[in-house]
Amino acid sequence: MRDVAIIGVGSTQFGRAQWSLLKMMCEASHDAITDAGIGERKLDAVYVANLGAPRNNRMAGLASALVDRLNLFPAAAETIENGPASGASAIKHGLHSVASGLCDLVLVCGGERMQEVNNFEATEFVSFLSHRYAEYVYGVTLPALAGMFTRLYMERYGLRPEHLAMVAIKNHANGALNKKAHLRIPVTMEGILTGPDALNNNPWIAEPLRFFDCCPVSDGASAVLLAPAARAKEFQRTPVLIAGLGQATDTHAVHERPDPTELTAVRLAAEKAFAMAKLGPQDIHVAELHDAFTILEIAESEEAGFFEKGKGHQALERGETRIGGRLPINPSGGLKARGHPVGNTGVSQIVELVLQLRGEAGDYQVPNQPQHGFAVNFGGFGNNVIATVLKRGV
Amino acid sequence: MSPPLYDWDTGESLTSEEERMIDELEAMLRPPALPMAPYPPKSILLASGEVMVVRQASVDEVDAMLRYIQPLVWLDRDYYDIVAARLFAELLGWKAHRVRDEYCLVGVIDGVLAGIVNGRMFDAKHGISFHTLTLKRGLRVGSHLFASKMEHHVEYLGQDEVWIVAESPIGHRRWMIEYPLDKKFEIQHELGGAPSWVLTRDTYFKAKSRLVTGTRPVSAELLARSYPLREPDLRTMLVQIENTLEARL
Amino acid sequence: MARDVVAAKCRNCGKLSYPTHFYCPSCRGTKFEPVPIQGEGTLLTWTRVYALALDYTDRYITLGIVELDMGIRATGRLEIAEPQTGARVRATVGKVRETGGKDITGLVFTSV
Repeated sequence: MRDVAIIGVGSTQFGRAQWSLLKMMCEASHDAITDAGIGERKLDAVYVANLGAPRNNRMAGLASALVDRLNLFPAAAETIENGPASGASAIKHGLHSVASGLCDLVLVCGGERMQEVNNFEATEFVSFLSHRYAEYVYGVTLPALAGMFTRLYMERYGLRPEHLAMVAIKNHANGALNKKAHLRIPVTMEGILTGPDALNNNPWIAEPLRFFDCCPVSDGASAVLLAPAARAKEFQRTPVLIAGLGQATDTHAVHERPDPTELTAVRLAAEKAFAMAKLGPQDIHVAELHDAFTILEIAESEEAGFFEKGKGHQALERGETRIGGRLPINPSGGLKARGHPVGNTGVSQIVELVLQLRGEAGDYQVPNQPQHGFAVNFGGFGNNVIATVLKRGV
Repeated sequence: MSPPLYDWDTGESLTSEEERMIDELEAMLRPPALPMAPYPPKSILLASGEVMVVRQASVDEVDAMLRYIQPLVWLDRDYYDIVAARLFAELLGWKAHRVRDEYCLVGVIDGVLAGIVNGRMFDAKHGISFHTLTLKRGLRVGSHLFASKMEHHVEYLGQDEVWIVAESPIGHRRWMIEYPLDKKFEIQHELGGAPSWVLTRDTYFKAKSRLVTGTRPVSAELLARSYPLREPDLRTMLVQIENTLEARL
Repeated sequence: MARDVVAAKCRNCGKLSYPTHFYCPSCRGTKFEPVPIQGEGTLLTWTRVYALALDYTDRYITLGIVELDMGIRATGRLEIAEPQTGARVRATVGKVRETGGKDITGLVFTSV
């Protein structure tokens, strides 16, 4: 099994896309290919991460269409669908094909164009991730599952609405520094929770989660280029090693989990990723976690091992997860502000970590030359999770 | 005695008889005004921590508003083009005394125009909601201004019902479910002949604490800072879709 | 016409599962018999959901996860104005959704 490095990255603006899905993905792929400087070399395979193209964009065989648009034929290609974890899954497949020696240069490109359906349809579409007859038929949406999860967390661990608001405030502040983020308006505690008009600015979505606790519906595309670590020196950028990647699944229906406040799949995926990387949570300098809902940033930070279970909100309160803090989480703005083009998110998390580890994150660069990065890509409501550990240099 | 009216077509001054005829025509075209209570300004602390003043706009501000919203008439996205075009016509019509009993409320953040809502009184007890145009997105400005409009009709103009229709089916659905709105399909709404939905006084008061917010009074200093209306930066909104087939498909 | 919502009882070891799986989580058996979900239980958690799909015209719906005395947990609609975690509830069956013109019946929990 060879070591695999990321030799190029690219990303479009996130938000309301002006381009079509395919054009966005071409732009991101082109940026990654140019970033790496592959010259005349051929790509062996393309893995595409996407959730909604057949339903929302009337496109099937998206990977084949992308290969055509980029003139990459006859490269091998597939679309990988794993709900919101499609991005990390596509990276996993890219990793496996290079690590195995079966491929050398692999492009992984994620993309999503949600605006082609309205918000009601987007809600409905995402709710397909829930269990059909035990959850979906009741009108369960992903926010509904997150809301019930949050209530339990608040009752068991003393988490308060202020803590949820702190995640939103931190991530919006970070997003304001990230030119490619979807939401770039900082929000304040007075504005979203404590002020005279806060509850009107921030209405309920699924009690106790409010509007600013939920990530936006975004369009966007990102891409990474993978190569065997041994060949990284052929290319122009500081390579970043995929040091570890782990995946785990859990019950589909959330109510079937023995302890519904535990995100077991996050914990197991993280453990596997750390084991493969021969590192631990204490070695991580920067993390991109899946904050589709503010509660998830807190819960995932605990399951990954950064903080004790039930104490993540205290670390947040102390400012440990800010850009200048002990363990910056979501310096790019996270899903909350950077945006969540659903199938693409896992890829964009890796792109953000690569920029951090290269020292190229500009205004939202984490200080002190971070060497190790960590990401969690959370599929469904935690029933399929991938964790990744990245290391600067090979 | 006032100076004689000058006829711009003939270059001659009109006789008093001709003056009287034009005045009568003008009077016919110019609708009589119902007494309209003013909307007391309020301030809203937005999610970003910025303060938005919601106040009535006067007819003197129409020229500035027309200039600011005109670029949106060409924005083929989210119904901006048609809403901006119709609002443009309504504001111009209001200024030219060709729309009866119209009002206009604006949301102003740091002196910059953030949103416009308008409507008119059909009669003393029934109001018609025209449009809601958001110029600063991401802070629920449109929601706040729409609610302020309903507040104006019911609480300050003293009306029993507001007839509502929307260009955007999705936008309409939100209000339909949120207030909720009742059907009043026997009333044809002035905008495009679509059947109306209605917000009743009763429903308004039940929904008020949920949907209507803001603090009164507004300090003289804050209010003064909302004049004159400054031009919003619409550059990010006006980014157009590349028009080639290749880009769009 | 309301039909029961059923859990699966393993014919081999008697374990109840809901939702069903192909293999019994206890003994890996593959033969089950349906057992209606009924009776009382305790409310574990709940939410009011506001952003709903197109087939809903409600402003919000109330959902919850219930730990039923019969030994399984279930997610369902709550017909309870002010739910409290830990409260006792009773399972009934009613219309929970309308999709494609068809009514879907499911679990509706009421206060005891």
